[in-house]
Amino acid sequence: MTATTGTTGRWGEAGVVARPLLPASLFYVVFFAVPMLALFVLSFWRANGFVLIPDLTFDNYEKIATSSLYRVLILRTITVGFITAAIVVPLAFAVSYVMRFVFETRGQVILQLILLSLFSGYLVRIYAWRTILGKQGLLNSTLQWMGLIDRPLEFLIYSNFAIVITLTGLLLPLAVLPIYSAMSNISRDYLEAARDLGAPAYTLIRTILVPMALPGLRTAFAFAFLLAAGDFVTPTLVGGTQSLLIGNVIADQFRGIGSNWPLGAALAFVTIGIVLTLYFVVMRLIRWVTTW
Amino acid sequence: MVKALSSNLLARGFLTLVLLYLYAPIVVIVLFSFTTSPRLSMPIEGLTLAWYQNAFANPLITKALTNSLILAAIAAIGAGLMGAAFAFGMMKLVQPRLRQALLAASLLPAVVPLLVIGISLAVLFHGLGLPQGLRNTAIGHVLVSLPFVVLTMNARLETFDFTTLEAARDLGASSFQTFRDITFPQIRPSIVGAALLAAALSLDEFVVTWFNIGNEQSVPVLVWGLMRRGVDPSINALASMLLFLLVCLVIGSNFIGRRNT
Repeated sequence: MTATTGTTGRWGEAGVVARPLLPASLFYVVFFAVPMLALFVLSFWRANGFVLIPDLTFDNYEKIATSSLYRVLILRTITVGFITAAIVVPLAFAVSYVMRFVFETRGQVILQLILLSLFSGYLVRIYAWRTILGKQGLLNSTLQWMGLIDRPLEFLIYSNFAIVITLTGLLLPLAVLPIYSAMSNISRDYLEAARDLGAPAYTLIRTILVPMALPGLRTAFAFAFLLAAGDFVTPTLVGGTQSLLIGNVIADQFRGIGSNWPLGAALAFVTIGIVLTLYFVVMRLIRWVTTW
Repeated sequence: MVKALSSNLLARGFLTLVLLYLYAPIVVIVLFSFTTSPRLSMPIEGLTLAWYQNAFANPLITKALTNSLILAAIAAIGAGLMGAAFAFGMMKLVQPRLRQALLAASLLPAVVPLLVIGISLAVLFHGLGLPQGLRNTAIGHVLVSLPFVVLTMNARLETFDFTTLEAARDLGASSFQTFRDITFPQIRPSIVGAALLAAALSLDEFVVTWFNIGNEQSVPVLVWGLMRRGVDPSINALASMLLFLLVCLVIGSNFIGRRNT
């Protein structure tokens, strides 16, 4: 896939250039592309207990299309993904703006702190939110101790609220990364020129900052929306019975009692299809709004 | 002037809140790994190291820790070397569009939910007849660390001076000699930095692990098992130790990776 791109057009030179690309490319093909394909093929198979039976059946997809349970779960997953992305992206935008244009070089230190949190404890941080938001958790017990509330606030935990709070914390650093890097290409002069000419803040945002940081915003939205929609650990630990997401069902099909791999594979692809379609619709909308 | 000052204060307050939001979970876990009350609530009654003793008394912990360290070492070496070579190869490509396309493709596994990566690998290994365990998990860890290694190496290599390589070649060095004597010594700190990052990612990885490790243990798998069983304060101790290792690795990665280049 990379071997034919030399500068001289001669195979020898091109081969030398491509050689360092080979191991990782091969690894990606064998352990990323092929497994995705295998998962797709599996979604047309059948399962009999733990035995997978090769087939070309649309039964799994039919089951998903006709089940109201899956429809509810997919809809809820998309809603949670959207709400999370709708909070994460503007928040990351504001954080990046402050780091880039208010703190300038000192912003680098804050960026490092934000990135450090990205790599410190995925599972641990989700669990931590459960202990913070729990019925007898840190927040409730502190508020009660201070006498601000009589009874624990029940909506804090085992709810969609808890899921969104947790996912936002997990995904914010990941969203800051591309937006900040896109903003570092925006010159301060543009903002000052526009300000000198009397442009109000929202005009600066709409006509300079958003269009110029658009590639970063797009990546950030992709991270936030796709990863929030695909998470199953967060709903397991902080979601209630009424806030399970499609990821929980998919995970259970692969590692749970009465698992069904082909059905899980089909569920994964239906979700990916819907999520990707929505992603492109949103990207279209953003482009339409910004060129408008 | 007054306006600038107040907006600066506002900005400072805003960033403080954001950092508080990001770090509150970490602080809470570490803080409550030292408190006597098994329940995580205020007010704090007293301090103890008992939960750490408890964590170490768990017979599974030695196994989990050993396995996690093995996985981290494989991810560091595997993803570190392959990712560094890939980033270096990309730099040599002259067409910027091709470079952009390759970079985007190499980052794909970071955008696909880990759940999907985990189950697709499980399907592949099942098809190949390879039973679940550490081997399968290690491959998964290399895969999920690779994008981050490529990304950081790519950023570091942007400042790499390729003219020194041409000079060496012009003076008659073979391509192997050039690599050994000129290229490698210069990019070594970056590779070590990226490899440490891969180790951190591996140490913290749960989702792909969960679908591929079978009945083996790793630290996050052990933590998950304890979490699902209910409130066990030794989770906080175990989690704090994991956090400590992660922070060391990430800071080390940053520190070493930024040296020279």
